[in-house]
Amino acid sequence: MAQTAAAEDPALRERFERDVLPLLPSLYAAAMRMTRNPADAEDVVQDTYLRAYRGFAGFEEGTNLKAWLYRILTNSYINTYRKRQREPQTVEGPDDIDEWYLYDRLGGRNVELSAETEVLDRIPDEAVKGALESLPENFRLPVLLADVEGFSYKEIAEIMETPIGTVMSRLHRGRKALQKALWDTAKERGLVDDDDA
Amino acid sequence: MTTPDCEPNCEETLREIGSFLDGEADVSVQEKISVHLSDCNPCMERAEFRRHVKIMVRSKCTGDAVPPALEHRIRALLEEPPAVS
Repeated sequence: MAQTAAAEDPALRERFERDVLPLLPSLYAAAMRMTRNPADAEDVVQDTYLRAYRGFAGFEEGTNLKAWLYRILTNSYINTYRKRQREPQTVEGPDDIDEWYLYDRLGGRNVELSAETEVLDRIPDEAVKGALESLPENFRLPVLLADVEGFSYKEIAEIMETPIGTVMSRLHRGRKALQKALWDTAKERGLVDDDDA
Repeated sequence: MTTPDCEPNCEETLREIGSFLDGEADVSVQEKISVHLSDCNPCMERAEFRRHVKIMVRSKCTGDAVPPALEHRIRALLEEPPAVS
C-alpha cells in the first residue's frame, strides 16, 4: 500500500531520514511564524511529518522537496489550526502604507546608509519575529515564504494554491505592513526617535 | 514622500524594486534596473536599504530551538510502520 511504502521500503525510509529530517528546524520555525505559539507549531509540524512520511513514495526524487514539504506544512496549518482558531480571514490590507515607509523614517535624514541599517540590526530577533507575526495571515504567509524561506513567486503560488498575481500583490502589501510593524517595534524599544514623520 | 524622480528610469526602478531584488522581474527589466542602479546613487541607496531589510528579516526570523520532545516524536515515526489510515 502506497501510504506505508516509506515504512516498508528501507531505502525510502533512509532517504526520508537523510533528506526530510534535516529540514525540521526550518519547518518548525516556519510553523512558529504561522501559528504564533509553540504548542500549535508542534502539532502542525508533527502532522506535516506524518503526512510527508505516508506520502513520501509519491514524491518524485529530484523535484523540489522543500516546496513539497512547505505545501504540506501550509495545508496542515490551514486545515487543522486555522479551522480551530476561526481567525477571521483578513482581506483588507494595509493600503495606506507607503512603499518607502521605513526608509523615509530611518533615512532621508542625511545620515549614512550604515546608520539606518544599524538601527534595524539592533532590533532583537524576538521583536522582528513579533513584527512578522503581527501581520494578518494572508499577508504573513507570502512574506514568510518569500523573505524568510526564499521561495520564488511560482513556488509560493503552488504552496499556497493561490494564483501568482495574488501572491505578488499580497507580498507587496505584506512587506509594506512589515515595514510599519518594524518601525513600531523599533520605536517602542526606544531605538529610534519618536518624531513620527 | 521623498522619492527621487529625476527621470523615468528612477520611477520604474523604484516601482519594480521588490521584484528586482527577488530576481523575479522580466529579464529586460532586471538588466535595465541593474544598469540604472550603477548610475543613480539615490536609487542604489534605496535598493540597498530594501535588500538589507530582507536579509535582516531572514536572519532574525529563523533559529527557533526545536523542542527535543517534538524531534523525539518525529524520529519515532520512522521506527514503526505508520498506522494505516
